[in-house]
Amino acid sequence: MKSRPLSTRTQKHRQGGGAAVRQSGGLLFLLIACWGLLGCTNEGPSSGRLELTWGSRGVGKGQLQKPRAMAIDDKDQLYIVDFTGRIQVFSRDGEYLRGWRTPAVKNGKPSGLSFDRAGDLVVADTHYFRVLFYTPEGKLLKERTIGGECGHGPGQFNFVTDAVQDSQDNFYIAEYGEYDRVQKFSPQGEFILQWGGHGEALGQFVRPQNMIIDEQDRLWVADACNHRIQVFDVTQNPPRLVKHWGEFGAAPGKLNYPYDLAFDGRGHLYICEFGNHRVQKFTLDGESLGCWGVGGHKPGELFNPWALVIDRRGRVHILDTYNHRVQRIVL
Amino acid sequence: MAGWEIGFVKPWYLLLLLVIPAVWLLSFKSLSGLGRYRRLVAMSLRTLVLLLIILALSEVQLLQKSKKLTVIYLLDQSQSIPVDQREAMMEYVVRDVAKHRNIDRRDRAGLIVFGREAKIEVPPFDDDIPAVGVLDSFVDLNTDATNMEAALKLAQASFPEDASKRVVVVTDGNENIGDVRTVARMLAENEIGIDGVPIELDARSEIRVEKVAMPVDARKGQPLQTRVVISNDSREGKTVRGRLKLSRQDGSRTVLLNEDPASQLVDLKPGKNVFTFQHQIDQSAVYTFSAEFTPLDPQDDLMTQNNRASTFTHVRGEGRVLLIEDWENQGEFDYLADRLRRMKLEVTVQPSDQLFTSMAELQGYDTVILANVPRSSGSDASTVTNFSDAQIAMLVRNTQQLGCGLIMMGGPNSFGAGGWSNTELEKAMPVDFQIKNAKVQAVGALVLMMHASEMAQGNYWQKVTAREAIKALGPMDYCGLLHWSGTDNWLWGAPRGLVRISGRRKGMLGRLDRMTPGDMPQFDPGMRTALLAFNRCKASVKHMIIISDGDPSPPSRATLIRYKAAKIKVSTVAVGTHGPAGSNILQNIANVTGGKYYQVTNPKALPRIYQREARRVARPLIYEPAGGVTPGIVYPHEVLDGISEPLPRTAGFVMTSVKDNPLVEVAIRSPRPGSPKNATILATWTYGLGRTAVWTTDAGHRWANAWTEWESYDKLFSQLVRWSMRPTGDRGKFTVATNMKDGRVQVIVTALDENDEFLNFLNLSGTAIGPDLETFEVPIRQTAPGRYVGEFPADQQGSYFLNILAPPAAGSKDTRPQTLQAGVSVPYSAEFREQETNQALLTGLAALKPKQGKAGELIIGRMQRGQMSQLLETDTYRPDLAPAISAQDVWPQVMLFCACLFCADVFVRRVTIGFEWLSPLMLKIKERLGGGQVEPDDDGRLSRLRNQKAIISERLDERRSAARFEPQLEEQDALNLDEVLDDVGSAAPAPPPRPSAPSSAPSEEEESYTSRLLKAKKDAWKDKNNE
Repeated sequence: MKSRPLSTRTQKHRQGGGAAVRQSGGLLFLLIACWGLLGCTNEGPSSGRLELTWGSRGVGKGQLQKPRAMAIDDKDQLYIVDFTGRIQVFSRDGEYLRGWRTPAVKNGKPSGLSFDRAGDLVVADTHYFRVLFYTPEGKLLKERTIGGECGHGPGQFNFVTDAVQDSQDNFYIAEYGEYDRVQKFSPQGEFILQWGGHGEALGQFVRPQNMIIDEQDRLWVADACNHRIQVFDVTQNPPRLVKHWGEFGAAPGKLNYPYDLAFDGRGHLYICEFGNHRVQKFTLDGESLGCWGVGGHKPGELFNPWALVIDRRGRVHILDTYNHRVQRIVL
Repeated sequence: MAGWEIGFVKPWYLLLLLVIPAVWLLSFKSLSGLGRYRRLVAMSLRTLVLLLIILALSEVQLLQKSKKLTVIYLLDQSQSIPVDQREAMMEYVVRDVAKHRNIDRRDRAGLIVFGREAKIEVPPFDDDIPAVGVLDSFVDLNTDATNMEAALKLAQASFPEDASKRVVVVTDGNENIGDVRTVARMLAENEIGIDGVPIELDARSEIRVEKVAMPVDARKGQPLQTRVVISNDSREGKTVRGRLKLSRQDGSRTVLLNEDPASQLVDLKPGKNVFTFQHQIDQSAVYTFSAEFTPLDPQDDLMTQNNRASTFTHVRGEGRVLLIEDWENQGEFDYLADRLRRMKLEVTVQPSDQLFTSMAELQGYDTVILANVPRSSGSDASTVTNFSDAQIAMLVRNTQQLGCGLIMMGGPNSFGAGGWSNTELEKAMPVDFQIKNAKVQAVGALVLMMHASEMAQGNYWQKVTAREAIKALGPMDYCGLLHWSGTDNWLWGAPRGLVRISGRRKGMLGRLDRMTPGDMPQFDPGMRTALLAFNRCKASVKHMIIISDGDPSPPSRATLIRYKAAKIKVSTVAVGTHGPAGSNILQNIANVTGGKYYQVTNPKALPRIYQREARRVARPLIYEPAGGVTPGIVYPHEVLDGISEPLPRTAGFVMTSVKDNPLVEVAIRSPRPGSPKNATILATWTYGLGRTAVWTTDAGHRWANAWTEWESYDKLFSQLVRWSMRPTGDRGKFTVATNMKDGRVQVIVTALDENDEFLNFLNLSGTAIGPDLETFEVPIRQTAPGRYVGEFPADQQGSYFLNILAPPAAGSKDTRPQTLQAGVSVPYSAEFREQETNQALLTGLAALKPKQGKAGELIIGRMQRGQMSQLLETDTYRPDLAPAISAQDVWPQVMLFCACLFCADVFVRRVTIGFEWLSPLMLKIKERLGGGQVEPDDDGRLSRLRNQKAIISERLDERRSAARFEPQLEEQDALNLDEVLDDVGSAAPAPPPRPSAPSSAPSEEEESYTSRLLKAKKDAWKDKNNE
């Protein structure tokens, strides 16, 4: 498949950033490092450095139109779904590799992407009340689709936001709208249980926008409109709330619409804050270690980011939604 | 620099370069004291400074040539081209760009579609054109004409400057608006190349209904003859059989005049065919006659759009009244209509969901009454209806230009309370529909919450709806708009949010244009913000409208209950992008707060809904005092002839503000509320050629019930209606005829007096109203005795109305000028007259040679889906055009550099730089590098000595200035200096001879001065001692 050249802007940043990384100790390195630091907030500790910015607004191949969800595979390839309903696959440096569309987008577009344990792409087809499964090459696995019916009964959904799989291959699917809950399904897609509900009380949610699951099968939920993180031990029945933190605010440690979560494998949790236009790094106990990003349109600035992923080298890729691009940082 | 050149905006300033040699000559002498090298440097710098000033004056620029090419495709989407070929054009563009666009050069492609006007579909950008099914611009593109001129102009304006430019015009060449040749020459002058892709039209038979001929004016019962002219342009001289139907339409009623199917069958011989119909009309009205021909074999006709033509005629009779009532409250004015009929007026009642659609329909009426009818009504998105802007414009033009009467009658859905504020109708009325009096508590507050981001063209529709809502509010009302832009933000007036409209309306509309609402995560924070603003606001009616695609998280129950407790209703508009799920949230918000819920699938319904909802805020304009009020007569208006007080009580009316205009006559007024300006019951004025009146209470259904028992009820309302009617007096001996030829309408007026003698030297003036409701003057001149002729262009499809003002008839009571009316119908656009490709035009366009480039090409081939390989053979991105040159002004930088050089010039001339330190430094370096001692040479020593001397001289100068009156000290130091020099001289060549003493005169003068001073000092001491 023919690859699309990056835009001038992208090339510029890539050349600058790449050279800086290689020429350690050089003046250029210092300049670029300072430039990268400009993107950090003044509040709290921060150690982020912008490494690469790529992507341009558009509907052409490799272009992005309000991208809203992102996932990364074991080859560090980025899967991005945008406002046109296209799922596009890029190399870690932003080179377009392939793409496809979800079956229907008239009602709305997907807003959640993740990978299951088999390496298939899991798509939260939000406005069609279902979860779709694709091979990494883009083949729809129709037989694996979960849901598709609007409602509050078992196996029915409202607006699906995300789906993850535990070590036992069970799926957890979050939704918001009227019901705001998490449903658990067997590996075969059969309903097992549900919990949550719309509200501010612990165990309830208002827009559980994203989930990740750790090695102990604890489900971490970004309870976006309650501006907090809730952690559930899903090995128990019903799942038990084991940890929670977060309150609304812009200071380090506070949250403003946490929309995406990622572990770095070294005991840190990264949270993408839609409302604060930043990424915040936490210990697993909720202690803020720093944040990166301020609202804006320049490189190093974010505008309502929706998602982030961490590649094998530990670099953070941020989906800068309203700037229609991806920014890669080293924290 | 590679690819860069230098250019000048004002090259004639370069003549100043001739001054430079003169400057050299002058400077050579004046700078001789500087020494050889310094003079050379100073002169060079001076020359450079001068050169740079001249460059800056001539506005020097850096020019870069670019090989990049931008091609904009102009697609003719007019209806003269068959649909399948129009659709194939898009495929051609996509494939042509994909095949020929040079990616390395970063060529760009753009797309413009045109019909009656031109619209940009894809602005030029450096990528392939995405293959989309339907072009977005088609939604609003008028395709009933071909305007290539507009397309070329738009293309010229859309080209980026940094690339060569070419347009590829895909068309049948049948231009019927504008002059493309003139614009094309302009493009060639501007180095823009033109390629033409002619669309070959199939050669088939073509049938056209040329016209329906009727007398413009007729009288009741008069036999009428209607002639239908049809042309048959059959290629093979074939007779075409088909059905010809002639229908007559009066308002919404349509009657087929030749109902018998057998009588409808006609044979069209090649050439023109004329068919005549005889009939009679017994009721006065304006009738539209339409003829339509349908061939039995569709293959006999290429275009069906030109198979129908119409005309209208006015059959005069008694005064006719059109009473428009709210379709949701039908029957409220039945009593009034009945009473008017008894007073020998013909009254037609029209519900507001079956409104007139053309000016022609209004011509049959002498007065139009808007009877408690709101601008927008309906209970849900599918039933909500409104008066469109065009319909309001028709009502107003019908009065202003054609003299028809217009009366607005009250009820709770009329005037400001009916959402008529800030419309053209308000301008036509003798009162304003809003209260500008802060003492009257007629204030509403409206908050708009915007979240329709996923809807197609969501931002556009949000702006349209907000604009409608703001327009509907009065100056004393409050308005706020909440949207998501990173957080929930007020668009204006933050942090209060809700601000008075008064004086800010334009600013608000301006901000709306810049609004770009984002994807709001949840409703709750925004609703809580709005609630705070509502609670701080003193409005008597508070309302909120949320437009959303329904996917933000719902508000908390507590928030909704707080809204309910504060009696703030929230109406929600679901734009239906996410199916029923999103709607449930919005429906719940509306249900809990008592608002209205709308589910919209067609965004065009949104403005109607917003007009409807904004009416809620205008409720305080309704005045319903306990026990009612008894209005009084304040002016003896002719409408009130024979009517005297006391007038009956009325339970209420709608408050308005009397226009500050001497033409306004307020006839009846209520004693309450306090301000008489706002308590009008009946007011009238003359608006243009017509008369308008307002009656702010109703006609006896809800408020004026007592009036129906009143003996003067019939008299009052019939006199009001008759006063307002358009002049319907005897038309005398004027006759008007119209004739249309080559897109122009000729109007011929024949004027005779009572004795059938020609009326000469009359001052006739005409005003025409086109199908777009634009009015224009028609000059009418006398061409023969009693014969007056005027002419105007008619290039749009539809009806043209002409109003001719003639002097009042001799002896007539009505002193208003007589109005003579005429009209003409243009059945279809000239677009449907052309049947062949105008290849000559396209060949001419392509042959135009752009400046510094090659002429374009005519790209011949079949425009059909999947079969356009021949068209794609021509490379539309061929590099045979003048390269684009982008210019960058550098004169500011040149000036800056010039300023630096000027400083350097001054420095060189004023400051001497010693280089004595250089040799010792070199020696030291040599020492270091050589590793041994190197004896300083004599020159080095000498220079050190000179340095030493300079230092000592400097000290001496300082001391001299510090002890100016002690010359001995100076002498001493001088000796020391000589000693030093003598010491050194033993190891060095003889020092240069001491400079000769300066001329004695100044020395003597100095000594005498010093001695005089010493003497004066001694004298002073002496005097002191003596004392």
